[in-house]
Amino acid sequence: MERNGEMRAYVLGAIGVALLVWGSWWGLFWAPRESFMGDVQRIMYVHVPVAWNAMLALTFAFACALASLLRGGWKWDSRLEAAMEVGVALAVLLCILGSIWAKPTWGVWWDWDPRLTTTAIMVSAFAGILALRHFVDDPVKRATWSAVAAIVAFVDVPIVYFSVRWWNSLHQLQSSPETVSRAFHWPLRINAFGILFLMAGMIDLRARVAALRLEGELAPPLPESGREGVR
Amino acid sequence: MGVIEGGWEFVWAAYGVTAAVLAGYAFSIHLRYRAERRRRERERSAT
Repeated sequence: MERNGEMRAYVLGAIGVALLVWGSWWGLFWAPRESFMGDVQRIMYVHVPVAWNAMLALTFAFACALASLLRGGWKWDSRLEAAMEVGVALAVLLCILGSIWAKPTWGVWWDWDPRLTTTAIMVSAFAGILALRHFVDDPVKRATWSAVAAIVAFVDVPIVYFSVRWWNSLHQLQSSPETVSRAFHWPLRINAFGILFLMAGMIDLRARVAALRLEGELAPPLPESGREGVR
Repeated sequence: MGVIEGGWEFVWAAYGVTAAVLAGYAFSIHLRYRAERRRRERERSAT
């Protein structure tokens, strides 16, 4: 049973890698040059899918935090830890890619504009929660406070999304099918699904790491916390 | 209206960083999972 679940994570990851190779090949060599940004625009095929999936991972972390508080169960704490770590990894990659794209288009690697500043706050908040989890030995207290902290930190995620609409920003508005030429759709979508599958596989496997650690922490003796089994 | 010429070095850097970060992070999870599973198997067999 455990091996089947483990295999699922690797299969999801393999599908993700295959889609990413296909989408990136399309974006680099088949998709046309953009009229104003030229070839530099090809960074969009990795930057935007990473952004979407980073926010999706952190939204899943928020859902896990709610489930952990409302329903209990160690599996939600394991998934919360996994989703936060994968979300932070993707968000850090997002900032690096944004920086690489900003240099040739804006002329600077970084600017404290609303989108970038709120993203930096989002990364710092979730990375801080992950770091602080290591300092709490009691699994019950750790699960409770990190779920509460994740819910508080999640407040910044919609602010990141709407920051380009609410304030004047160097960053462009969100792209939509109406604002992106049809020639650019396919590599963008293929890479978005590629990172989605890879992210799902990584969260699945990372949650197993957290569950195995918890199993070691909790056994024996089992705590009388009223929480259900680890998985 | 200006048009950006060239810039392939930025494109390659972006795709290279993406591949390196995603591959490195995925591999680190794989290694941690393997190590954790072995540790748990040792602990289970000891009890």
